[in-house]
Amino acid sequence: MKKKQGRLNRWLLWIVHILSLLPLAALIDLALSGKLGFNPVETVLRWTGRIAVILLLLSLACTPVNKIFGQPKIGRLRKPLGLYAALYAVLHFAAFAIWDYGLNLRLIWSEILSRPFILWGLGGLVILLVLAATSFRFWQRKLGKTWRWLHRLVYAAGVLILIHYLLAIKGDLFSLQGAYLPPLIAGSILILLFILRIPAVYRFIRRLF
Amino acid sequence: MADKRYRSVPVQPGEITPKHIYQSRRNFLKQLGVLGMGALLASCAPDPSSDLTLPTDIPGEGRTDELGNPLTAYPAIGGYCNFYEFTTNKENVDELAQDFVTEPWSVEVGGLVSNPITYSLEDILDKFDQEERIYRMRCVEGWSMVIPWVGFPLRKILEEVQPTSEAQYVSFKTALVPEQMEGANSDMFPFPYLEGLRLDEAMHDLTLLATGIYGEALLPQNGAPIRLVVPWKYGFKSIKSIVSIKLVPNQPPTLWNTVAPNEYGFYANVNPDVDHPRWSQATERRIGEPGRIDTLFMNGYAEEVMALYEGMDLTINY
Repeated sequence: MKKKQGRLNRWLLWIVHILSLLPLAALIDLALSGKLGFNPVETVLRWTGRIAVILLLLSLACTPVNKIFGQPKIGRLRKPLGLYAALYAVLHFAAFAIWDYGLNLRLIWSEILSRPFILWGLGGLVILLVLAATSFRFWQRKLGKTWRWLHRLVYAAGVLILIHYLLAIKGDLFSLQGAYLPPLIAGSILILLFILRIPAVYRFIRRLF
Repeated sequence: MADKRYRSVPVQPGEITPKHIYQSRRNFLKQLGVLGMGALLASCAPDPSSDLTLPTDIPGEGRTDELGNPLTAYPAIGGYCNFYEFTTNKENVDELAQDFVTEPWSVEVGGLVSNPITYSLEDILDKFDQEERIYRMRCVEGWSMVIPWVGFPLRKILEEVQPTSEAQYVSFKTALVPEQMEGANSDMFPFPYLEGLRLDEAMHDLTLLATGIYGEALLPQNGAPIRLVVPWKYGFKSIKSIVSIKLVPNQPPTLWNTVAPNEYGFYANVNPDVDHPRWSQATERRIGEPGRIDTLFMNGYAEEVMALYEGMDLTINY
């Protein structure tokens, strides 16, 4: 195990740790100094949601960067970034279920069942949790080929989470009215990252460099 | 009737002391002719380090609405606002709206009326006695506040201009001043902000034209100098910074109904049994308090307003 871990570049890993934990530290600092604003639950939901999306997109960008620029060191950062994305997704859900809805299971359940908006997010969270749980070498060996297939579900998680994000805005994406810009940007990046995974595409771009 | 519960001490013109609350660059209204609660209002020394702090020691904050809900603190009311002409960031509106010019101001009241009048704000304050009304305000997004407005029933202005028999609805328009409103030219919202009420809703005693909060003139971010408050409807109906009130024969367009008609209806009555298509309206967060509370039918004003909707299917007419 030590040998394999050595292949994950220490410096890059530290950068990932620091960049990923910085927002959490900032959030805790705001909370402790009472600066979460007038709707603190909303602030925390927004913040954790956005960071989770950003980290997930960064994680999904690692493989394309590797394929195009030949940087396996970057490629391997997909795991720590993915795990941090899962962390923020869990905090996001915890803010909803524990802080906002006070663990009122009856209310939460009826909300989840009736609001597609929450279901999409929950679907994304479940996938991220399964992936986080199976991210250890032990599972990679145990599941073999299935493991690869399983971890490709991270793209499905990206789509589900994007839909969750789009459904949360006030406005109407299809008529381009309302506060649609952030999820639209996230969606564009996601689509771009999908396209970059196509062998014909990344081989073509690789030749440009 | 129920009127008594919302009324507090009427405020005498001429008892006003100009209040310098913020740093000198903030507009302050000299002649409000409205707010006689001078004794209640300690003037706060401007704080140079945080230029946008609102006085936190306004007496009267121990008060409640008629259901026993405590008033929302003044800093929250002035610090958490939806006013997309400035920005969609609720906690930034106060800063961006600082230089919004609200004096001189005129409101054109016309359309299908026998006696159209263009009022200046001074005319309005002179002519119509202002009183305090403590109302709950419920945003469609799922948060709410309890706000001590100062104002007068819209009915009084409508009675002055005398709607004709063809007038069935009242339409309202917000000021749109791109030079002072950063978000005014946004493609994302079809400004100017428009709203409307059915005539009987407009004539209801609860429907208020507000000119102040907590005994102070309205802050720019809260829709200075004059705005509508319709407490049994979602907050987006309570249009801010009104420049035009027009009597019209047909249901007028409203901004949110234009943006997303299947989500934001014309009536927009607060109703925990009629969900927004994408999220539930059964509960809300009261700003300043932890946890969620149950949303009340018609925001707790059902007794006063249900007569307006007799026979109407509220799931269709949302």
